Amino acid sequence: MATSWPKKRRLIGAKVQRLDGPAKATGKAKYSYDINRKGMLHAVLLRCPYAHAKIKSLDTAAAEKMSGVKAIHPIKKVGEELFWAGEEILGLAADTEEHALDAVRAVKIEYEVLPHLVKEEDALKNDPQTVSPVGGKRNNVLAAKEAASQGFEKGMADAAVTVEGSYGVPTICHQCLESHGLVAEWNANGELTVWASTQAVTATAAILAGHFRIPANKVKCITHYMGGGFGSKFGPDIQGIVAAELARKANAPVKLMLDRASEITAGGCRPSAYGKVKIGATKDGKVTAYEVDCYGTPGVGLSDTVTFNALPYVYPFEHKRKHVRIRTNTQLQRAMRAPNHPQNCALTEFILDDLAAKLEMDPMQLRLKNLPQNDPNAMQNAPHSLPALRHTIYTREIEIAAALSKWKEKWHPPGKTPGIIKHGIGMALHTWTGQAVPQRNECTVIISADGSVTARTSSQDLGTGQRTVTALVTAEILGLEPEQITLQFGESPNGASSGSGGSTTVPSQAPATLRAATAARDDLFAKIAPKLSAKAEDLVIERGKVVDRASGKSWDWKKACAALGEEKAQATGFWTAAESNKPENKDVSSSGVGGVQIAEVLVDTETGVVRCTQIVAVQDCGMVVNRLTCESQVAGGVIMGLNYALFEERIMDRVTGRQVNPDMEFYKLGGIEDMPKILVYLHDMPERGVIGVGEPPVISTHAAIGNAIFNALGVRVPHTPFTPERVLAALAAKGGGQ
Amino acid sequence: MNDTGEHNHLDQQDVGPTEAGLSRRDFLRTSGAAATVAALAEVPAALAEEAPAQSPAKAIGPEPVQLTLDVNGAAMTTYVEPRVTLLDALRNYLDVTGCKRVCDRGTCGACTVMVDGKPIYSCTLLALEAEGKKIKTAESLIDGGKLDAVPAAFVKHDAQQCGFCTPGFVVAMRAAFDQNPNATPAEIEEALSGNICRCGTYQQMRDAIVALCKNQPGLGTRKKEG
Repeated sequence: MATSWPKKRRLIGAKVQRLDGPAKATGKAKYSYDINRKGMLHAVLLRCPYAHAKIKSLDTAAAEKMSGVKAIHPIKKVGEELFWAGEEILGLAADTEEHALDAVRAVKIEYEVLPHLVKEEDALKNDPQTVSPVGGKRNNVLAAKEAASQGFEKGMADAAVTVEGSYGVPTICHQCLESHGLVAEWNANGELTVWASTQAVTATAAILAGHFRIPANKVKCITHYMGGGFGSKFGPDIQGIVAAELARKANAPVKLMLDRASEITAGGCRPSAYGKVKIGATKDGKVTAYEVDCYGTPGVGLSDTVTFNALPYVYPFEHKRKHVRIRTNTQLQRAMRAPNHPQNCALTEFILDDLAAKLEMDPMQLRLKNLPQNDPNAMQNAPHSLPALRHTIYTREIEIAAALSKWKEKWHPPGKTPGIIKHGIGMALHTWTGQAVPQRNECTVIISADGSVTARTSSQDLGTGQRTVTALVTAEILGLEPEQITLQFGESPNGASSGSGGSTTVPSQAPATLRAATAARDDLFAKIAPKLSAKAEDLVIERGKVVDRASGKSWDWKKACAALGEEKAQATGFWTAAESNKPENKDVSSSGVGGVQIAEVLVDTETGVVRCTQIVAVQDCGMVVNRLTCESQVAGGVIMGLNYALFEERIMDRVTGRQVNPDMEFYKLGGIEDMPKILVYLHDMPERGVIGVGEPPVISTHAAIGNAIFNALGVRVPHTPFTPERVLAALAAKGGGQ
Repeated sequence: MNDTGEHNHLDQQDVGPTEAGLSRRDFLRTSGAAATVAALAEVPAALAEEAPAQSPAKAIGPEPVQLTLDVNGAAMTTYVEPRVTLLDALRNYLDVTGCKRVCDRGTCGACTVMVDGKPIYSCTLLALEAEGKKIKTAESLIDGGKLDAVPAAFVKHDAQQCGFCTPGFVVAMRAAFDQNPNATPAEIEEALSGNICRCGTYQQMRDAIVALCKNQPGLGTRKKEG
């Protein structure tokens, strides 16, 4: 049966307050970190203090005798090699956290310290081969990936103007406020329940079931509230498995949440990307070729640190690209909010403004000249797809952003404002997918005879407002208010769902909810029609009531539901990428968004301090479901992007191999007084269906701010974060700020 | 502590009871800091070691001692080691979890509670020091479903996402309005400068602040908003 959104929408697209808002704001909401079970033990991990070492000896005898110690679980053995400072060696559980911390200090361990490498640029000079072997080789520097488009050589040869520059973004940390971890509890039947801080409730349960070789239905994962993940929390991780192991050994519930330093050094980081970029263009600003040669570190891992096939970013230039992965003795990189897109954005958007300056052009005009065209094939076959609309979307969004920011009045040639404190304005573009995932996502809606309605799913609400979206869609279909819907969220037995990553949750879950609520409504009609002396096909929902179109009679919701008697009306809806692609379901959920941001800054050329004063963020995401939380997502993305631009950097110490700022005082995040005025404009396109919005707004903010600083100074500050030190260094290199 | 004359007298006399009812001398002794202070004051080590024997002061810990806290108007009793912070006593021993542990070293503000009306980082105060004081957490800002004006404004303006930092912000803001019912938005922002949000809810928080400042007369007297 075909699925479609209601033509007339009362709640979808309106501003609906977060249903869990009061519980969160008053501290009543129980996060995984807040779960205290009867007889619960506290566990901690022993971590390697060296960036590269071998365990020579390990003696836990003294630790085992310490007060309150109940269980120890080894992770690494004598003789094993450790590849980064923070790698887990063993877990230990005790009756109190204080005892656990005392006991872990009593573990006697000797290391053979080995050579390490923690700074990617060092490896480019001399590859010291300090990482785990892959195919028998320990190379830090992996073979380059290279590719070029056919027209690249000609494009560069045809260029009337070329510009070159070096740009980069450092490794940064997710810095989730609720750290990674979980509470694990086994019952007498060998069933495991975990309260996990995770973005993937069902996957966490499945991974634990796999680890313990027990049936999937013997593990229950609960995540009612989650204190931030940003891409770093997709399973139990080693600490979750160790907590469950300790709980089994000790026969008691165990809580293992990472402390702050561990959260930062082991809980995830975004990989770096540094590159040399060259761009060629005609005199009137048509880019003819783009070349990038970049490197970055995935830590001990192997993955790319840019989205290789999307360089250049957004703009379809003739190109040549090269990417080198440098493995370092640092924690494995993890996905972080639009993985690799901020890197691509920086490596593309900065040089566009440098080119515009050389051409003495307004960089907005340069961008308008080089936008990707709408794809004629897509316009025929998939008129609501991003390829069919990209030129239209970006052109419109630039127009909106220009008007909101007063670009025409405020833009000036780079470095041309007088005085010590200089004003600048800059822009950048981004894109993201945000579609339904291939995996099945389910939602179940149950209507009871007392008129109460429950919407149930295993999917999780990370703070994105997913819970409220589910209630809102259910209420829309049943003619109710969102607060009338009882939500059962974030428990793995509640049906199939996928992890919340890639901005996929709303496009995967909202259509499943739409189907469930619609089918539950139809089940209700079928069950009550005979008792109401009506035909099911004549019954319709109006706000708060059921109406018989044939007789004109109506019953308020509770009265209508009372006709269910002993029965319930119930249905489960599901959604997948395949469902989304069926012609009869077109425009329920879709993929691909644009987005434009314009930043304004004031830069003090004497102190190097950058103050961002305003950011305009224009964002599309197909059909807006909850305008209130959607705007919050966009503003939140902008603020995170501002942190990337001005504050965030993981700083590794070359000598000790450790992070020197695994904390919140030297790993900087902005506070409320650091914030600019943020103007969010949602470019609503309901005809496209639902598309995710969590990630795209974070991507281009740092690039827009970097370009605003360039506009202020006429000098490029090449690397984020744009600290006073870097601003002054860039000014000094060009001979001062005046 | 100053570094002029105070250290020199520590060995001879108590410097008066601290706020928690322990004398500073007792506190230093039990927290293991006395030796450091003695060394700083250039007192011979032998003399410093003798000092406790001459003093009637009662050493406490390291084993757990009884702790009674006044939390949101209720007396709560447990046993904690003297080294346990107020934050950990509330969360791990008394199941009061609205205050969150994030940085655990006085930087992020997620653990903010009111102690005798003042907003403090509960990770920086020993639980024993909070005995005899009135502790208020975010949980006190809802009364039978009736929300205090501050959390109500957070809900209305969507000034929270994951919500893990939110109770700390709410308590800090409530305390700021309690201290100055006529505070301006800029003054409230300053009062929140010791709190950090990762999701980026500051824009909506500003909307909430502006709305609250407009309704100032209701705030100082803790009038509730629906």
